[in-house]
Amino acid sequence: MEPGVTRSTARMRSGNQMVVEGALRAGCRFFSGYPITPASEIYREATMRLQARGDAAVGAPDEISALCYCIGASQRGVKSMTATSGPGWALMIESFQYALMSETPLVVVLVQRLGPSTGGATQGGQGDVLLAEFATSGGYTVPVFAPSTPLECCELTQQAFNWSEVLRCPVILLSDKEVGMSYEAVDMANLPSVPVLSRQPAVAESYRAVQFDAIEDVPPFAAVAGPIKVTVTGSAHNKDGRLRKNDPETLDVLRHLEAKVIARSSDLAMVTRDLQPGAESLVVSFGVTSRAAHEAVLRGRAAGRRLSFLGMQTLFPVPVDALRAAASGVRRVVVAEENLSGLYRLALSGVAPEIAFHGVNKLGGMICPAEILEAL
Amino acid sequence: MNPVKPATSVPTFLGSQPAPYCKGCGHGTVTRKLNEAMVRLGLDASQIVLTSDIGCVGLVDPLFPGIHTVHTIHGRSSAVAAGAVLADGILGDGRMKNVVMIGDGGATIGLLHLSQAALMNVDMTVLLHNNMLYGMTGGQHSAFTPDGFHTSTTPRGNWIPAIDMEHVMRGCQAGYFARKLATEADLVDVIAEAIAYPGFAMIEILELCTGFGVPLNKMDGKALRAMAEARGHALGVLIRRADRRPYHTVYRERFPSGGEPANAKPATAAPDRVFRHRLQKPMTLIVAGSAGEKVQTAGAVLSQAAVLSGLYCVQKNDYPVTVGSGFSLAEVKLSPEPILYTGTDAPDAVLVVSVDGLDEVRGRGDVRRMARDGVLLADESIAAGLGSDRVVSLPLRRELSGDGAALGAVTVMIERSGFLECDALAQAVEVLGGRGTVSMRKTIAAARELAHVAAKP
Repeated sequence: MEPGVTRSTARMRSGNQMVVEGALRAGCRFFSGYPITPASEIYREATMRLQARGDAAVGAPDEISALCYCIGASQRGVKSMTATSGPGWALMIESFQYALMSETPLVVVLVQRLGPSTGGATQGGQGDVLLAEFATSGGYTVPVFAPSTPLECCELTQQAFNWSEVLRCPVILLSDKEVGMSYEAVDMANLPSVPVLSRQPAVAESYRAVQFDAIEDVPPFAAVAGPIKVTVTGSAHNKDGRLRKNDPETLDVLRHLEAKVIARSSDLAMVTRDLQPGAESLVVSFGVTSRAAHEAVLRGRAAGRRLSFLGMQTLFPVPVDALRAAASGVRRVVVAEENLSGLYRLALSGVAPEIAFHGVNKLGGMICPAEILEAL
Repeated sequence: MNPVKPATSVPTFLGSQPAPYCKGCGHGTVTRKLNEAMVRLGLDASQIVLTSDIGCVGLVDPLFPGIHTVHTIHGRSSAVAAGAVLADGILGDGRMKNVVMIGDGGATIGLLHLSQAALMNVDMTVLLHNNMLYGMTGGQHSAFTPDGFHTSTTPRGNWIPAIDMEHVMRGCQAGYFARKLATEADLVDVIAEAIAYPGFAMIEILELCTGFGVPLNKMDGKALRAMAEARGHALGVLIRRADRRPYHTVYRERFPSGGEPANAKPATAAPDRVFRHRLQKPMTLIVAGSAGEKVQTAGAVLSQAAVLSGLYCVQKNDYPVTVGSGFSLAEVKLSPEPILYTGTDAPDAVLVVSVDGLDEVRGRGDVRRMARDGVLLADESIAAGLGSDRVVSLPLRRELSGDGAALGAVTVMIERSGFLECDALAQAVEVLGGRGTVSMRKTIAAARELAHVAAKP
């Protein structure tokens, strides 16, 4: 985590602006959006920048249209992105499942605000953690990344695109109001270099709609209106893309949707660590709260305590190895997050049941370092 | 395994699989006529995309084994198709012919997608199979069910009028709209014309569901025309406009490619000199005023000046949902060390330049929370309202106008405290650029003068 820089090429940039920067660097050429605070700046910035280069930025009449436009564009072979907040995400969920089922790569940026319902448009929150991950029927793992700084917004958006392409699946960038709408110094001339990865193109001779040998293989991609005939469906289907119920090949295709993600869990795992040997307590956090958590750890150490910090940039699949390693030998593990009952803590408990997690939770305002330190 | 064959070798796009539809259902007829129209147009299989919705009409895909088929979710077919067409038209070769197969259920769920595609004039063709009820799920009524029509959920007859797609499409400026019977001989001509039409085209095809419509209403397809016309739903090609251009054509003209390159570096405009700061520990300033009076711009200038002086910086803006009325507030945190937690416990300076700003900082409790050695600076008009004996009162609005008051307050604060060089502020204005540059230069110069005449109330 590098929350600031002081070079002459540094400019104040918001997390939302840096999401767009990352998207363009990743090769995004199609954006569709519908305005919603605190994600609207992504819509505006993406529109300005894509249109300036002759790429596609299309306003949609609602969030469902926005995501469906992205799905269609991606099926045509174009890297696509939309951005929304909780209420818009609720509308998108069915279409998102369609993207997952049809193995359509795209990135949804979900900038969280206070919920439920309309909640607080300009109030922060981290209440959509499980709504993002478990919006899909059937128990599928959706990659979810959570930035905590404008710089991470750029890098993790690039990673989100790369993984969506490599896995042929939709990926969620889970930001929040404080990360998205806060401006911070970013050295624009010296952004870290992230390679650009793209979906593997299909070869006509060996093409099937869903081609894999090992269940975790990712099928090569063919675009609609291209030279290879494409069959796409959101219904349960066999490897030819035809509707089938419960035959072994169809069930294989369904298992494959999960297997291709899980098989790459360790490569997907991105964390920031500040671990102290012999630490008595560990705080795990993500997004804007991870910054307060890290500060709490530094303050605690300055007061003579032995404390460790683990920031999750990848929320799902849960970086369980990093979690276990950080928690090893630690007496108390605390999860800090800005929601009522500890949503991510619940997910962590599921994958690491041997660890007793304690929560620091808050609603309607950022958790401050003192509140975390008190719990450590 | 399935390479697309060139059109010259296929007199038909239909495969050998029989249509799965009930005997007498119009869906099978439409499928055959669509095929005939596509063959007649001489389309290449690779350029056709058949996008289908949910319902019986969604079973069409395997009937066309050689062309691209995209089976979507309920109601969203036309939005998915529009996305593909837009990407193809704006970024691709623009050869795609996207035909959307949708029923009356998909049309009601997706009415917004259809109306938007018509408004934008997305170059696609929608075949709306209107059998006036939901056939696949048991014959329930839909928004397309005519009054008097019997369905499984309107056993005594429906009494709500049916939606008139002609007028919906007319209101959405659709370029092409036809209402036809599935059985009409010239449906092939109309489908071919719709596909060839450069823009959004819809054909509403009237059918009678043999599973539910026929037995529940004791009628056959021959009665369809009279039933439609009795309700004022005319048949034929009803809209055929030549004055609308496809969305992607206009888009490409307005936004030609070859603009900003993929990894464009921003204009660096590196300052000639390094500015100094005298900050030993983190500091948080709050600037509060009224919406539209450049409060957040003042925060941005301060932030950029701090960055030019080697400080770390976070700026947060706050405003009511109305944006253009009420308060506007910028919170700027500066630090010689990297900033982790972006919030603040106790502000070090509170600058208030209007009544709206005063109300907001009162509500937030900023003055109460302020550091003991904090700076409180306010416009003369509201200084007394802060209820503090250490407030510095200044004629900001009178001397610098409402638009200059916030930046003026920041300038005075820096000029008096010296934690940044005022020249860094001036340089920040140049770095940020934009329309306000000239007036901001003047504001900073005038505020520096003002700083030296400031007095307590």
